[in-house]
Amino acid sequence: MTLALIEPLAQPVLGAYLLTSAVLLVIGVVGFLTRRNLIIMFLCTELMFQAAALAMVAFGRYHLDLSGQVFVIFILTIAAAEAALALALIVLLYRRKETLNAEAWTEMKG
Amino acid sequence: MAPTILYSACVLGAVGLYLLLRPAPRAVTAAGGLLALGGLAWLLKQVAVGFGPGADVGLDPFFVIFSLIAVVAALRMITHSRPVYSALYFVLVVLSSAGLLLLLGAEFIAFALVIVYAGAILITYLFVLMLAQQAPQPGEESAQPEYDLVPREPAAGAAVGFVILALLSEMIFSGVPQLDPALSGPEAETAVWVELEQMPGRFEAEINAVEPGFRFPPERDPLTGRLIRVDEQGAHVLGLVAESAEVVRVDLPESAMPENVQRVGWWLVHKFPVSLELAGVILLMAMFGAVVLARREIELSDDEKREAAGLRRLALEGYPEADSEPAGGGP
Repeated sequence: MTLALIEPLAQPVLGAYLLTSAVLLVIGVVGFLTRRNLIIMFLCTELMFQAAALAMVAFGRYHLDLSGQVFVIFILTIAAAEAALALALIVLLYRRKETLNAEAWTEMKG
Repeated sequence: MAPTILYSACVLGAVGLYLLLRPAPRAVTAAGGLLALGGLAWLLKQVAVGFGPGADVGLDPFFVIFSLIAVVAALRMITHSRPVYSALYFVLVVLSSAGLLLLLGAEFIAFALVIVYAGAILITYLFVLMLAQQAPQPGEESAQPEYDLVPREPAAGAAVGFVILALLSEMIFSGVPQLDPALSGPEAETAVWVELEQMPGRFEAEINAVEPGFRFPPERDPLTGRLIRVDEQGAHVLGLVAESAEVVRVDLPESAMPENVQRVGWWLVHKFPVSLELAGVILLMAMFGAVVLARREIELSDDEKREAAGLRRLALEGYPEADSEPAGGGP
């Protein structure tokens, strides 16, 4: 690690990183709400994970605390587990109805 | 900074995103894209003025480039009507946010993101996308299903999203100035050096590389209780060398400072060992779950089960021949 990288991070720079992360999160939320393809909806949750990871690393960099980066490793783990299960479920659903349309499953609302 | 500017930037972004989401002629979509991007860039520009006078720092040009690529790719990802392109745009988001993480000095996380997300998770998504791709029916003019072309409630979605964005950015602008000030340079450097002295083996190896006959342990700093002391000349330890009774100063080279990968690894196993084990258990469970969920049900007759187990077939009289009709591949 070079010495330049442990210089303090200015607050506006932290704010800029957090804002980028917030924008990515919101795009993920909007995508999850508006898209009707099951796989794209799950991709949007991955986008939200990505935004959270960015915010955590930025905060960790500001406080010079590596817990944020360690937490991102756990996020990666959970994202991998979630992708495996969600994609297995999607394959299962696709075999039943031959479509990826989320609205094909509205009868599950009860 | 007036909150109205903030909110109008968010409204601008929402209108642009709404235009992007609706199926529309190319010109309208392009205008929507420009509007959304303009709103978001305006929001980002507020950062420079949003922290009061004197806080005006120029943002790193690499930061601006990477974050714009990330945002544009994310917008394209949720608006593209072909799922495979959406997945590829998500790869672009991952790559550019890996660039942002590199700027933050988190090399390990940046490369892990590229390898795990872009390399593994996204490929799985692509596999499933191609598995679930429907062949175009003859006579149909478009190969794309209707649910990929028409979004669900784009106006409400964009509105909800940008209300959340307005709240979040308001929190960022009011909350970040109240944070504790970041550690200054020397304190930060000391904090990194302290981690070196807790890494068993490496600490001794680094000192031995400079001063082969060093007698461990080095003397503790009476004030801080630490082995490594940091002053203007750099990090050093004090201690005895070989047989002489004189206390010597051993300067540690800058290359001895723990790097990002070493620090992340140390934090992972030193501070979060239980979480590490739990993550392993979760991955194992997810693997079992995926196998159980995605496997096909195969109906076997009694005879075939016996055969699969390596046992002799039951050849009873009056029974239909078991292998006259092999079991199908399930539903």
